[in-house]
Amino acid sequence: MSQHEVSDKNVESPLKEAVDKYRLTLDGEDHTVPIATGQTLLEAALAAGIDAPFKCKGGRCITCLSWLRSGDVSMADTKTLSKRNAERGYILACQARPSSAEPIWLDFDL
Amino acid sequence: MRGEEIPHTYTAFTGLMGDRIYGVVAADGDPGHPWHTGRNQEEFVLYKASYTSSENVLLPHNLDATYSEWEPGIDPIYPEPDAFKVAVETPDGVKYDDIEDPAFIADLEILTGRSLRVHYTQRGQFDARPVSLISLSAVAKLGEDLGMHMDKRRFRANFYVEWDNQDDPFYELSLVGKTLKIGEWLEMVIVERDPRCSMITLDPDTADDTPKLLQHLARKHDGDAGVFAAVIQRGRVNQGDPVFLK
Repeated sequence: MSQHEVSDKNVESPLKEAVDKYRLTLDGEDHTVPIATGQTLLEAALAAGIDAPFKCKGGRCITCLSWLRSGDVSMADTKTLSKRNAERGYILACQARPSSAEPIWLDFDL
Repeated sequence: MRGEEIPHTYTAFTGLMGDRIYGVVAADGDPGHPWHTGRNQEEFVLYKASYTSSENVLLPHNLDATYSEWEPGIDPIYPEPDAFKVAVETPDGVKYDDIEDPAFIADLEILTGRSLRVHYTQRGQFDARPVSLISLSAVAKLGEDLGMHMDKRRFRANFYVEWDNQDDPFYELSLVGKTLKIGEWLEMVIVERDPRCSMITLDPDTADDTPKLLQHLARKHDGDAGVFAAVIQRGRVNQGDPVFLK
């Protein structure tokens, strides 16, 4: 199961060039999503034209809850991520940025 | 905690009398939203809170006098704090006669690992606006769209309404800026759509979650379900009262 950690708000990934794309699953379809330095997983998905679910983009509404099947991310804010969801390996895509070179697979089909 | 259906209510400018007057505050909560809720502990929606003197918290004793003798802006006096005492039962059947019993919070702290306290205020406390409304047709349509039974309690609204016009199951979303009259007295302006969070994903009977409900709302309805209202004429509402568009 993937690991994620909480970091200070708005920090950029410590591995700026480590990940330039990631795998995203939505509605049973797989997508390869380009991701730029500093982008969150959600920002990258939306920039790629993917209809990923979101509302507040601030880590409050939890609409972008998703399963980090593989890879590592750091999240700026996890106050609304419940213990149950964290233990499942769920993350908030609007708060998550890549934090290692490990390939990322993000699944919205919960 | 779990909501309950009541036969009548007094709705003031500050919301329904007795509604959400206790909150649980987390020391490590967001300063802007310090509440401990089902978002933090899903099973919290299974806790059952009930007033120990339920009749006293539904209507002010002197409500009729304020109708007949005073301008409609006068709010009647509320019962004394003792009338609002609440008992709590946990999903495991543990009962606390008083939500302010230190044992209740102590046990909840052990369960959640958070530093918590109960906060009381007689006029209610809300993480959004004090009065909310959703139609049964909207609830049913969302269930139909997702192929699941949709329990209306997921939406934790104050008022559940049935519209005569069933052409648009989400009719209430078109009422922002308009005024509704419910029953003989209550009037309220619909001020905005209700942007939803993960609370609606929780089954009120099991606390199991269905994230696809919130995802569907976000992608098809801008994340909104139901509406918020601001009361402009306070008053009693009875279950089954007619709703008029002014």
